[in-house]
Formats: sequence, structure tokens, C-alpha cells
Amino acid sequence: MKPTNVAIDDPTSLRSTWSHRAWVASGFASVLTPLAKSAVAAADSGSVFEPLLAAYAGYVLADLASGVFHWAVDNYGGPSTPVFGSQIEAFQGHHRWPWTITRREFANNLHPLARAVIFTVLPIEALLDVMEAGAAAHAFVGICAGCVMLSQQFHAWAHEKARRVPRAVAALQAAGVLVSRQMHGAHHRPPYNINYCIVSGAWNGVLDEYKVFEAMEMILFFRFAVRPRSWSEPRPEWREEEEEAEEAAAL
Amino acid sequence: MACTSLPKHPLTLLRAPINKSSPPSPPAFPSLSNASHSQFFGIKLSASSLPNPSHSPKRSMLVFAKVSEGNVPPSFTLKDQDGKNVSLSKFKGKPVVLYFYPADETPGCTKQACAFRDSYEKFKKAGAEVVGISGDDPSSHKAFAKKYRLPFTLLSDDGNKVRKQWGVPSDLFGTLPGRQTYVIDKNGVVRLVYNNQFQPEKHVDETLKLLQTL
Repeated sequence: MKPTNVAIDDPTSLRSTWSHRAWVASGFASVLTPLAKSAVAAADSGSVFEPLLAAYAGYVLADLASGVFHWAVDNYGGPSTPVFGSQIEAFQGHHRWPWTITRREFANNLHPLARAVIFTVLPIEALLDVMEAGAAAHAFVGICAGCVMLSQQFHAWAHEKARRVPRAVAALQAAGVLVSRQMHGAHHRPPYNINYCIVSGAWNGVLDEYKVFEAMEMILFFRFAVRPRSWSEPRPEWREEEEEAEEAAAL
Repeated sequence: MACTSLPKHPLTLLRAPINKSSPPSPPAFPSLSNASHSQFFGIKLSASSLPNPSHSPKRSMLVFAKVSEGNVPPSFTLKDQDGKNVSLSKFKGKPVVLYFYPADETPGCTKQACAFRDSYEKFKKAGAEVVGISGDDPSSHKAFAKKYRLPFTLLSDDGNKVRKQWGVPSDLFGTLPGRQTYVIDKNGVVRLVYNNQFQPEKHVDETLKLLQTL
């Protein structure tokens, strides 16, 4: 499969379309609704500690979830895999041309995750409503889903040059609240087998020290005889290209 | 065999080797605090109690044995990467570092093999031989050894029979073949059993440390 650098070969594909914007707007709606419900319930009950704690838990879990998803698509499947094929292809292309993500417009970047979030949050929220869940549950869902949806933006900021990132974002990256350029940069070295988490990156230390992903890869290998991509060096046509060299070549 | 379904729990008794190459002296006991005192020759299955190390181990009868420190392990003959038959008894007279690993061309095993390769001179200096064992076939071993320039023997444990016989425990609830290394002295007695799945390079340090004391 010959990789296509969309930034050079098809730059319009980096722009947001109205369909992208609609998906992202719906994604925000599906995230803000549980947050609003949580705020109302918290105000009613007068207790904010539990919902805040639950929100924090949601943020922490989102980081872990981002790592697991990232590990799975980086290592298994391909462009023809059902449901995830386009994501897998996009992640592979991202390894080759990591800077392209900074050229994507906002909705263009986030719409696949927005779609996933909508289809996950709606049934969960329906269930929570039936159970008459409290502020904490809604806060957890809202923050977790929100961080997952925005993770692609956090990811893009981690690729952006320091001077181009808004100051508040830079401060959050420095504080470890959002994944930093340095932490994520460590992932972009062959064989791309560490630092998979892209919300805050807080889980990366533990996951890598305890070789959690390596253990999962070994189990999958012994059970299903499938090797993850990170066990081999990337094929030559998929190796990372420097931004300047690529742009110079395109001129 | 039931060996692999009870990983890591120390057993109370050992089996004396019944093959010709074993020494006639009584086998040493495994260094387990709950070991029972009776001596058995051959494997004996007991219907009266099941092994349950957390309760009264002195009541448990021998069900199966694994190779531990102080034992003379059962001999075997396996094919090496060139398809030649190699017996454990071939190495009598010099120390052997026998390392069981999950599979060729997996990250941990590659790190381990390369670590043994890079320290191979130190092993030779100690007069020891290094031998790797996994369930892969000879052609897989040959390719693996060639790719990483491994100077030592790799043996094919077809069907993981030797692994089971020696009682190498599995990891992660039986899903992963364990990574366990035995240092056998020149008299054929096991002097160290070291297990570490996720820090493969440590096997080199630990075995070298032990070899210095032999």
C-alpha cells in the first residue's frame, strides 16, 4: 500500500467540511449535556466534592483509554479493517508525516473521535437517566468523553512548535496537565512502542515501566499468532520524513 | 502434565531422576521452608490429598516434581539450530547456563539473546556454556541466531515437553511461557533457578554472579 501524504498531495483534505463541523458540534453537545446535568444536580444537592472527584477520575481514565486505543491501532489491523481501517491508516500516515496533524483544521481533526464519543455517550447517558444517577456519574461521563474527544487536539498541540501554541496551552503542557511535546516526541521514534497516551500522558510512565503493552502483545502473539507492528522496524516507505525535506521536495 | 497449571507455587517434594546419567546419591531437597521430609524415588500420585501449599504442606503427597536448586535435572535430547541432536549430558564436566525463553523474534527474547551474546566472553571465561531453549523449530532458531549473530546453541523443545517436565512456570495465568534460567554446575547439579519475564537482561547478570562463586 503506497502511503499518500495528504498535506502535499491533497491539501484540501485537511480543511474542515460542514459535515465535520456538524459531527464535532454534536460531539460537544453530547459532552456538555452530562456536564450540565451534573452541575444542576450538584447545585441541588449542595455537594461538589464527589462530582469533582468523579470528573478527575474521568480525566485520568481518558488518558489510559487514549493509550490503549493508540496502541491497538498503531500495532494491529490495516486500512481494510472494518470500522477502524481509516483510523489505522491515518495513524500510520501520521508516523510518516507527524507534522501534518498541525495543518489539519479543528473539526477535520476531531470529527472521527466526535463520532465515536456521540455513539458511546448517548446510550450511557440514557442508562444513567433511567437509573437516576447523580452528579458524580454525569461528571465522570462528561469529562471522560470530553477529554477523549479533545485528545486529538491535545495531540496536535504536542506536535506544534512551542512558539505557535497558545500560552495557556503551553503552561498546561509544562504542568503535565496536557501531554507535552517532549513526552509525545518520545513515541515518535521507531519502533513506536512507548508513550502511547495522549491526554495528559500521566499513565505513560507506569505503562512503560511495567511493560504492560509488551505483556499484552506477547499474550496476543501466543494466543493468535499475530505480531504487532512495533516488533519490527517500520518498512522503508513508512519511515518518518522530516517536514522541511518533504515541503522542499514538493516545491 | 499438571505442571503448567500451577505456576509458581513451590512443591513440597522432588522426584529423584530415574535415568542412567543421574548420580546414585540421594537427591537434595528443594530449599523450601514447607518441604516435607520424606524421600521418594519415582513419581507417586496420591489420591488422599491435593497439593495446596497455603495449607498444611506436610500432609501433601508428591504429585509431580519440578527441577529446583540442588536437583540433578532429567536429561533430554533436542535438536539444535542445525538440526543436530544435542543431549544435556554432552555438557557434563562444565557449567551450563540453560535458559528457557518464550519465542524467537519477540522483543524480550531478542533482548535476552543479545545480552547473552554480548556477555558471551565472560561466560566462556568462567568455563560455562550457554544454551537457549524454546518451542520454536530448528529453522526458526537458525534464522534467529543468524540475524542476531548468536554464538551459542539454541534447542527446539518440540511440544514444550522439556519445559513441562522441568516445571518451568507460565506467566499471566498460563498465557505466556515463562522465562526461566537454570545454572547447572559441572557435576550436573542445578545451582540457580532464576525467573524474570520482563527484565530479560537480568538473567545474564544473575547467572554470571552465580558462576563466579562456582
